[in-house]
Amino acid sequence: MYDDFASPWNIRLKWVYLLAVVFALLMPVFYTIGISFNQHGFGARIYEFTFDWYRVVLGDTLLVVSLKWTLYLAVATIAATIPMALLSAKFYKRTRRKVAFVALMLSPLFVPADIMGSSLLVFFKNLAKGFAWLGGALDVGWFDGWFDLGFLTAVIGQVIYTHPYAFIVILITMSRYRVQQTEAARACGATAWQAFWHVEFPQIRVGVFSSCAFVTILSFNEAVRTALLKGGFDTFSNMLVAQMLNIGMSGESYAMAGIMSIVSMLVIGSVIVYTLVRAERLERRARAMAEPVMSS
Amino acid sequence: MTESADIAVEVVGLGKNYGAVTALKSVSFSIESGKYYALLGPSGGGKTTLLRLIGGFLRPSAGRVYLHGAEVSHLPPNRRPTSMVFQNYALFPHMTVERNVAYGLKLLRVPAGDIRDRVDRMLAMVGLEGYNRRMPHELSGGQQQRVQLARSLVLERDILLLDEPLASLDARLRKDMCLELKRIQEKVGITFIHVTHNQEEALTVADRIAIIADGELVEEGTARDVYETPDKRFTAEFIGDNNVLEGAVAAVFDGRVALDIGFAKVEVPAPPAPVPTGARAAFSIRSELLRIAGRGEDMGASWQVVPAEYVEDVYLGLTVSHLVRLPDGTEAVARQMSGESDGNRFEAGQEVAVGWPTDRARLHLA
Repeated sequence: MYDDFASPWNIRLKWVYLLAVVFALLMPVFYTIGISFNQHGFGARIYEFTFDWYRVVLGDTLLVVSLKWTLYLAVATIAATIPMALLSAKFYKRTRRKVAFVALMLSPLFVPADIMGSSLLVFFKNLAKGFAWLGGALDVGWFDGWFDLGFLTAVIGQVIYTHPYAFIVILITMSRYRVQQTEAARACGATAWQAFWHVEFPQIRVGVFSSCAFVTILSFNEAVRTALLKGGFDTFSNMLVAQMLNIGMSGESYAMAGIMSIVSMLVIGSVIVYTLVRAERLERRARAMAEPVMSS
Repeated sequence: MTESADIAVEVVGLGKNYGAVTALKSVSFSIESGKYYALLGPSGGGKTTLLRLIGGFLRPSAGRVYLHGAEVSHLPPNRRPTSMVFQNYALFPHMTVERNVAYGLKLLRVPAGDIRDRVDRMLAMVGLEGYNRRMPHELSGGQQQRVQLARSLVLERDILLLDEPLASLDARLRKDMCLELKRIQEKVGITFIHVTHNQEEALTVADRIAIIADGELVEEGTARDVYETPDKRFTAEFIGDNNVLEGAVAAVFDGRVALDIGFAKVEVPAPPAPVPTGARAAFSIRSELLRIAGRGEDMGASWQVVPAEYVEDVYLGLTVSHLVRLPDGTEAVARQMSGESDGNRFEAGQEVAVGWPTDRARLHLA
């Protein structure tokens, strides 16, 4: 049998390959970030380091407003998606039809963004018409504006998009959790909520917070669905895409892309570092528990 | 339900179905207060289901559960006067030993000073004094189970449910913990219901044992009754090391049943129930009651003796098992203490006689 560990060079080569792949994948991003700090922008022969493009972006009221809308969208999406994903993961643990349930939960991932966005657009338009008709038929004004394109419809689009990711991340964390602990808490007198909050949540907290980070990044990165469903406001990515389409890539565009990339990498990096540290801690704990049981 | 103040647990017609699968079929029994009660049976027989129904972790499909005379079938676990020790993985891994044990008391809003005293007292009782600050992963399996026990006992509820609490421990530790559990139960005086598939464990701890198999209560009685005078054939085959032989009832006379086992007629004490002549029946005799002798040797008038062929002996440390083959090909085991070694005088293939005291055999009607 081939022994993978016979030569340390095999391992080193694998690491070199891995780093080369990651470098190739991230190269365009770093290149864009590099340009964003160049006083002379893309294609210039001279490189002069500057924060000017970032100052321009942060001084542009329209861009700052779009940044705010993106943040609101992210917060609202987190508020809706995370509890839903948590409930879905808990249901998954209970259901006996696990494959069917997972397929259902992940199905939005298999629909292309533009198809999903346009389908929702048509759906909401018709729904808004339906409510308007209902209001007219009942001669009341309550239903006016229901499901008109706007913040709510953009959030719904984002929730449909981000829910599968949040579900998977929480489920992975939850797989370590033993249901006996909930039962033990109930046997100690805890209600179902107390058992969840005191015993289960502290153990899946890392998954929940990772999901929040993930949903935030997805909210910043998403352009197609929000462009179709947002109504009268713009998100940061919408502005970036619009700017690129209308006037091409300017120094300002590179700075906007740079902001999104740096924020995303910082968030993801923090999650990875935290997860690695935690995994190491859990492994130590598991090793300790795997020690042969001795008479005490 | 039964009108008695001493009954801690009573289940009436309790059943549980999972779709088309029946895990428990209409079980009824009661447990006196302050008794150590074991639910013993093979894996998958329904004993854990029964325990979880008593604890409120499952909703019954049929029947009712009474705890101290009050019906609790519809109540969740936190509203029943029970606490529970699980097989494993049930300590809260993010809490210290002290916080684990104190958890239930905090929910009851017991003052902090009282909590500390009660936790310390309980940890001392289970032999874990000074372990307050340890995390669960810093404890051995036996210590973790003791913490679970302390966490349950500190609540001072009067019914403790134990779901295979010793199953994940090594043999030596299991033995120690059995005695420890018995000692603690006698000290606190509450009702323990202990699920196990290990007969030695059940016989060590229990005042009474219920045999559960195939979702049914097969038999119930004191540990001694269940071991020495099993009523049902299943019990005889499950508990102890019994030889079971089948035959037809040839005659019933003077409190005895003559059973034709093909190659011999043997006499067995008649059970209280009527025994129809000609009916198929079996009898069991424990292996330690079987004696092997040379052909023609007299064992006494009160013994039943059949011919056999000696096969081999197996040394098991404390005991030696002697295997013999009966004329119909059935193999029987005679067990002796290693010190009383009179079986080794036989050679493999030698014709011998096998006997047992007539009044120690048990008849089991099909």
